[in-house]
Amino acid sequence: MASNHLTGIGSESKQLATWYFAFAAIIFGAQLLFGLVAAIQYVMPGFLFEILDFSVARMLHINALVVWMVFAMFGAVYWLLPDETGIETIGIKVGKLLYWVFVAAIVIVILVYIFVQVGPADETSIWFIHEGREYIEAPRWADIGIVVVALGFVANLFMTGMTGKRSGIVTVLMADMIAFAGLYLTGMFFTDNITVDQYWWWWVIHLWVEATWEVYVGALAAYGLITMIGAHRKVVEMWLWIEVAMLFGSGILGMGHHYFWIGTPEYWWEIGALFSALEPLPLVAMFIHVLYDWGKTQGGQDATGQKLSVINNKPAFTWFVLNAFGNFLGAGIWGFFHTLPQVNLYTHGTQFTSAHGHLAFFGAYATILIGMMYIAVQGTNGIKVMKSTKSSIWAVSMIAGGVMGMTVALTVAGYVQVLVSRAQMGATWAGYFDGQSGLWFAQAMDWRLIMGVVTFTGFLFLAKDLLSIGKSQIHER
Amino acid sequence: MIEEVVMRQDIALGDFLTIFVSSALVLVFGGFYVGIYTAVKVNLLKNWTMFLAYSFWMLTAYCLYLMGSLMHVGEFTAKALVVAAIGLLLLPHAVYFMQHQVHEENEH
Repeated sequence: MASNHLTGIGSESKQLATWYFAFAAIIFGAQLLFGLVAAIQYVMPGFLFEILDFSVARMLHINALVVWMVFAMFGAVYWLLPDETGIETIGIKVGKLLYWVFVAAIVIVILVYIFVQVGPADETSIWFIHEGREYIEAPRWADIGIVVVALGFVANLFMTGMTGKRSGIVTVLMADMIAFAGLYLTGMFFTDNITVDQYWWWWVIHLWVEATWEVYVGALAAYGLITMIGAHRKVVEMWLWIEVAMLFGSGILGMGHHYFWIGTPEYWWEIGALFSALEPLPLVAMFIHVLYDWGKTQGGQDATGQKLSVINNKPAFTWFVLNAFGNFLGAGIWGFFHTLPQVNLYTHGTQFTSAHGHLAFFGAYATILIGMMYIAVQGTNGIKVMKSTKSSIWAVSMIAGGVMGMTVALTVAGYVQVLVSRAQMGATWAGYFDGQSGLWFAQAMDWRLIMGVVTFTGFLFLAKDLLSIGKSQIHER
Repeated sequence: MIEEVVMRQDIALGDFLTIFVSSALVLVFGGFYVGIYTAVKVNLLKNWTMFLAYSFWMLTAYCLYLMGSLMHVGEFTAKALVVAAIGLLLLPHAVYFMQHQVHEENEH
């Protein structure tokens, strides 16, 4: 049995973590809601026309995604810091103040997106409405606020890491979070050349999701395996260093696959092809990481003659295992099959990209962050062995099934676009409309909407479960 | 000065499905390869299943070849794909070797 040293009781850092998780869960719900609006508009183009147009719904959908994940990431770090360093997080009062600054900024930005929607397309837009940059639309005043919050968070992490015990996990997080916060700056300055602008914008998006965020997930998986199944720290941290090397080794220059068609020099084709081909390797490694540690730990347990499970938090472990599979599927398989320039010429900007985006963000990040929320519920309620409830099972099944269904539907739609819009019609304007007017495309969009509803229903189960599972009588306390 | 025009061969309409399926199978088979290899090493599977792991790696390499040839990849990308295939072959060996060393030093 893994020793559960988690306790959220009495730790201010862990209390702050639960605040972060709570707000993250609310924004997660908002993300799904606006995603549903956008999905409905693909099926019924007149839905909420000139009230909440597709461009606005999509902007809210993908920005809420980034925001809830950043909140949950900060929360997860505040949760694990006392466990890893052996001391209370330093600067926690400032951390709490910055949390409210962050929440206020996000709430104002969301209200502006919903009620103002479009600016006058001058400096006023960039400063007060949005910047016209996918995923990171926050206007400049909010950008500055986010930078202050991020710097405060990094300062707390560093002060605590330098003062307390510095485990391998904390060391990786310290280095990673500096890059995580620093890269955001490259998406803040304005250029009047779209190629230059995209060039730097990818430094945020790609170097977040295919480098710093992936490394962060590796660190979180390491922490989760130690706390949930009692995996051997030295072994897990050894894995972590291997993953860090592989992720940065392939991920940083893997950015070349975003530079194929935006006007950057042609050498990016070769660089992008080479490093994109290598990018799945660390994802495969992360997938076997979980298998290896669970096999070793459970094997050691079985060798003592006891047939007990080594897992002390079933719902969280389920989400962590889903993370290993989801990362491999969404980022790995769905990324790899359209990453080489020869085929990306046809798939770029079709629903293939959307399919990859949905499954990769969900598989690589949403899963493990939801798992961390369950770990927080366990610690906050002082539960020794946490079991899954019916709601836990419904939530994980419907959310995972829904996202997978959406991905398959979008893949079918993308395939139609590749054949019709690109291969047959030569990427012409007429081809773009022809690609979207066929029966296969339309039916794929119907299925995407149905699966979106399934996902949202799963989220309702998840919210209910996170709010009630801690009080359930089925756990060992 | 006239700039050189990059000419490339189009992908045949009927080849797209094979390309997408074979690219997906590269990682599916690759996952089976490292999964079985790891499972054998941590005694979750019997030793005789190791030949299945290597069979899956061969399927992975074949899918990479099929995908690359149907896409008409250039000389450089072809070499990159060979490097990726060899990388995948060595990956579980290298990782398991390192992990085993750590386990030996810290047997618990």
